[in-house]
Amino acid sequence: MINVTDLTKTFGKNQVLKGITTTVERGEVVALIGPSGSGKSTFLRCLNLLETPTSGSIVIDGTVITDKGTDITKARQHIGMVFQHFHLFPHMTVIDNITFAPRKVKRMPMEEARSKAKELLVRVGLADKADSYPSRLSGGQKQRVAIARSLAMEPDIMLFDEPTSALDPEMVKEVLAVIRGLADSGMTMLIVTHEMRFARDAASTVYFLDGGRLVERSEPASFFAKPQSERAIKFLEQVL
Amino acid sequence: MTTKKLNRIYAALVAAAILILAAGFIQQSIHRQNSIPVLNEGSADATSPENKPKLIMGTSPDYPPYESVDALHGGEIVGLDIDIAKYITSRLGYEMEIESMDFNGLIAALQTGRVDFVMSGMSATEERKQNVDFSSIYYVARNTIVSKSNSPYASTESLKGKRVGAQLGSTQDTFAESLQDVQLKKLNRIPDLVQELKTGRVDAVILEDAVAVEYTSANPDLVHHFIPAAGQEDGYAIAFPKQSPLVDDFNRVLGEISENGKLDDMIKQWFATEEEEAGPLKQLNLDFGMLGQYAPYMLRGIYVTLLFTFVSALFGFVWGTILSLFKISGIMPLQWFATAYTSVFRGTPLLLQLFLIYYATPQLFRYDISPLLAAGLAFGLNSAAYLSETIRGGIMAVDRGQREAAMALGIPYRTMMVSIIFPQALRTILPALVNECVALLKESSLVSVIGVQDLMRRANVVQSIEFRALEALLFVGVIYYVLVLVLTSLAHLLERRLRRSD
Repeated sequence: MINVTDLTKTFGKNQVLKGITTTVERGEVVALIGPSGSGKSTFLRCLNLLETPTSGSIVIDGTVITDKGTDITKARQHIGMVFQHFHLFPHMTVIDNITFAPRKVKRMPMEEARSKAKELLVRVGLADKADSYPSRLSGGQKQRVAIARSLAMEPDIMLFDEPTSALDPEMVKEVLAVIRGLADSGMTMLIVTHEMRFARDAASTVYFLDGGRLVERSEPASFFAKPQSERAIKFLEQVL
Repeated sequence: MTTKKLNRIYAALVAAAILILAAGFIQQSIHRQNSIPVLNEGSADATSPENKPKLIMGTSPDYPPYESVDALHGGEIVGLDIDIAKYITSRLGYEMEIESMDFNGLIAALQTGRVDFVMSGMSATEERKQNVDFSSIYYVARNTIVSKSNSPYASTESLKGKRVGAQLGSTQDTFAESLQDVQLKKLNRIPDLVQELKTGRVDAVILEDAVAVEYTSANPDLVHHFIPAAGQEDGYAIAFPKQSPLVDDFNRVLGEISENGKLDDMIKQWFATEEEEAGPLKQLNLDFGMLGQYAPYMLRGIYVTLLFTFVSALFGFVWGTILSLFKISGIMPLQWFATAYTSVFRGTPLLLQLFLIYYATPQLFRYDISPLLAAGLAFGLNSAAYLSETIRGGIMAVDRGQREAAMALGIPYRTMMVSIIFPQALRTILPALVNECVALLKESSLVSVIGVQDLMRRANVVQSIEFRALEALLFVGVIYYVLVLVLTSLAHLLERRLRRSD
């Protein structure tokens, strides 16, 4: 489903990604872990071209999105993204946040968009917040709305960029539960996370990145039980 | 606030703008039609009124009894010059329209073809003859020295070492220049000169006889003394663009009416009726009683001022938004253009831009731009330069994550800017926008120099009819203040509404 070949990214003099090659299958749930500055978020942001890769290619569902001629706006409609800081639209109510893109981009009729949004709100456990403004929600609630907003576009792939890092500890659980539910439903997902237990329990593959390289790529059970590389061993010692 | 509601507000705003614009144009065309609908009564060779050729006369209607605004009766421009012009044009089979403007703009208006001829108590001086053609002289005025009755100056000799005022560009100006050892102060308008005299900032003002009589009878604390005529006669004449074919025709009719006594009749009529009894000397030199009768005339200026403010603010906002988008577009030619534009319009005086647009447009584009449109354009273009920076700042202040979230959802650039970035930017810059509107409202008083009948212009008109300086100014000052108060409280309400989502 996703084919990445020799992906590099340079900011000024700083090469953040030093040639990453990998393949993600349909329905795979990838947890990206590694020390800060290892390039996890940059890699994720390259997948929907929020960062423009310096070299290499990314093919998603047969479309070479790194080609100059590709309509990236269209490609992004199939790739949902959830941010660390939610980025809900503060001037719109919860329901408008969710229905905005389907209505404006997919020309979905208002009624259909609203009923779909309400289903999604039920799914993330916020049915009663439809008409609230984001400023009235807690961090965990905001992130769940942000997930619903992404899902409203019916994406084939979901990208999560540290979805729980900005949350108070007691809210992490509710968000992770939603993400796990999504994983169980068969969604293809890539998640940058510092929640090791979540990575172990929910992911089907763990990518360990360090210094801009994909150092290790294995099943969570074997990765956490027996990391192969020196750096992964050290990293796990520090975080577990 | 939901996007739907925002959209509805935008739609309503745009609709209101279009309506008001349309109303403005209609009102303007009505204004133009009835500004001077001169009927050719008594003209033997009159063709039907619709297909008569039209002549536009330029004048500065602050010079009674030659020309002034009849503020008590519909605001028409009346006076000796007007009567003569009406008579001549109707005899020649023309329809006549009057374009009012500052005295100093009259020659430029002739040269740019904005008007066909000028009658405005204008003397046929040598300097002017280099730029325009004159008819024969229809009236010879004598110069007088107007001074305070408690320190009168009776002769030019007594003015030595004194401060003397004169209207800029007038014959009296030229005459005052010839005086030895005096300190000259030149102003555009006679009412201002008289006020300078009354407050003691000048010792005397050189005015022509008819005007001096008016002022001294309305202001008992002033006196006038005739200056003996100097050999050569500098009389009033009708000015035309160079090589105008009209000169001969006008001269023929002028010759006729000065021979058969018609001209004298008109002169007598205007100079006789205008002489009033001098009122009793008042202790307090303010008389608001006289304002009552002019209030309706001046209050009509509110509409013009508001219309103008609204049009220029809206235009400035839309154009400023486009410029700000140019600036953040990352496309070099657009960025370069927007930056250069801002630099030029911020770097030159607004008044200059106003004059350039008003006088240059007819020459460059063969389009006879109306004063109100020219002013709206000048102020809008100028305001856009300032607003583009404000709006750019507002857009930059919106969290980068908002853009990324929109992009990640596959929302196209334009939709993102209109529905997501812009509403948030607007909230941040609302106070700055209100400031700009308040500034526009007050600066709008500048447009009176090209003859737009706004509040300020109307106050000036009342000043020149009543020969009193302060009352009308204070009156419109209060109106301006109230308008600004209303505007700011409306903005406050809007701000509260926009903050509902916080």
